[in-house]
Amino acid sequence: MPQAIDFEKLLSLFTYDKFDPLLFGSSLFLFFFLFVLIVQRLFSNQKTLRIYSLLFFSLFFYYKAAGIYLLLLVFSSAFNFYFGSLIFKSKSDGKKKFFFILALVVNLGLLGYFKYTNFFLQILTDLKVGTFDPLKIFLPIGISFFTFKAMSYVIEIYLEMMEPVKSFRDFSLFIFFFPNVLMGPIDRASAFLPQIEEDNPITKEDIGKALFLISCGLIKKYAIADYIALNFDERVFGFPLRFTGVENLIAVYGTALQGYCDFSGYTDMALGVGLLLGYKLMDNFNRPFKANSVADYWRRWHLSLSTWLLDYLFKPLQISFRSMRKWGTALAIFVTFFAVGLWHGPNWTFIFFGILHSFYLIFGMFTQDLRKKITDKLHLTGTRLHKFIQWIFTFHLLVFTAILFRSPSMEYTLDMFHQIFTFFHPEVFPQFVQAYTTIFVLIVFGYAVHFLPKSIEEKTEKLIIKMPVVLQAVLFAGVIWFVVQFKSAAMMPFIYFKF
Amino acid sequence: MISDKLKQVILKELDLQDFDFRDETIASQVPGWDSLNHINIILAIEKDYGIKFKGLEILKAKNLGDLQKLIDSKTPA
Repeated sequence: MPQAIDFEKLLSLFTYDKFDPLLFGSSLFLFFFLFVLIVQRLFSNQKTLRIYSLLFFSLFFYYKAAGIYLLLLVFSSAFNFYFGSLIFKSKSDGKKKFFFILALVVNLGLLGYFKYTNFFLQILTDLKVGTFDPLKIFLPIGISFFTFKAMSYVIEIYLEMMEPVKSFRDFSLFIFFFPNVLMGPIDRASAFLPQIEEDNPITKEDIGKALFLISCGLIKKYAIADYIALNFDERVFGFPLRFTGVENLIAVYGTALQGYCDFSGYTDMALGVGLLLGYKLMDNFNRPFKANSVADYWRRWHLSLSTWLLDYLFKPLQISFRSMRKWGTALAIFVTFFAVGLWHGPNWTFIFFGILHSFYLIFGMFTQDLRKKITDKLHLTGTRLHKFIQWIFTFHLLVFTAILFRSPSMEYTLDMFHQIFTFFHPEVFPQFVQAYTTIFVLIVFGYAVHFLPKSIEEKTEKLIIKMPVVLQAVLFAGVIWFVVQFKSAAMMPFIYFKF
Repeated sequence: MISDKLKQVILKELDLQDFDFRDETIASQVPGWDSLNHINIILAIEKDYGIKFKGLEILKAKNLGDLQKLIDSKTPA
């Protein structure tokens, strides 16, 4: 006898459940996305319907992740659209400045309220200013991402880098666009909005590229990041004192790779999904662990955030402090990276992460000439050995900050250092490889692929683009099968959802 | 057109022999014009021309042509 349809269960698929957002890689998302693609295809010659349907799907996607806080997203869109136009139309510089500052205050005020209120109340309590109980504040997913995205619009209009867009519909698509609304990339208004206007068709190359990106994303997220996190990293980071220094150190290398695969895996999927809808999103990563200096790392890691802060925070600060020359730049670096830390979340570990990066950069700036003199004297400048030393040194500075980034609190961080430096026990290593063979292989494989020349990635991508559609489908099905083998019963949320 | 005076100020700050500066040239196309040298160049222009920029004016300058126009607007013809 056929089973009756469980309407309650069916309805739950369409209603908000804070434990069940539409994660890329979930089977529900796959159905959702297939439906979106079919509708987009049906309306391929009707731009208006295509955009309105995409707006509707994007709002549904965000509703599934944040419920009623969908209204905040709508408010952000309406507010910034209106203020962009107000700033542009204002005749006097004073008026422009007034509306611009008001726009910044409202955007940052909302972000601050939802994300940092309890953190500041805790600080006030710790400082014994008074006793403040934490407020029940819901953190709307992706608020840091869509607020920065919306702010780029008013900032670019204020700096006369773009004119306001005429259509509220188009602007809303920029803010709501589901592939990047939850976790970026933080696309710039000036790069995204013209794509709606141009309305370029999706080419065979875009499809091949998208399949390659989504496949890479799935493997990075589910076969590498989640597997390492669930089966090893979380155990060590949860109880560092239960493990020797060897395991703690491997967990640290593992967590750096895991963080990268988690976030860049999501970005790859977002870029691929965007491409299949006809939109090119900003790339976010360029093999960050290949960096040979910390400054180089920030030109390779979370580019959409680092360039945002570079253009809209660092540069204005550096110009304001210019009379202090190098010290002014140092101050601008410090403030910018303090903001990087705070942006990641209301936790001291993130703030120390940002401050540590600022110290790396400031130290690097002040010792640049001295270091060059030393390497010149040793005839090392520009040699392979010099580059190798720079790379390995940078890599370990980065891994060091990854501990701060991942630890639940400073106590855990100190425990890990304690184990690594005073309870190392190298003899445990062979036992570790034996007990955690898959983990060990995944970490080695992940780093090995990361360090492969970029040309290999480009050749693979071209190969997939040239493949017949049937072969592409078989390959993609193969990737899904492979990923399912790794996927644990419980899905891990993407780390960057918290931000 | 980029004036000879501006060209010399930039070349001196970047320790360059010569460079073909055009209106559409942007900082990243010029060897050595990084964020640190950017500040040194701005300070050198302010000193040599005896002018003072507002922060926003510098941020709005998208290329060398914009910078030249900005300088021209602050110096008597």
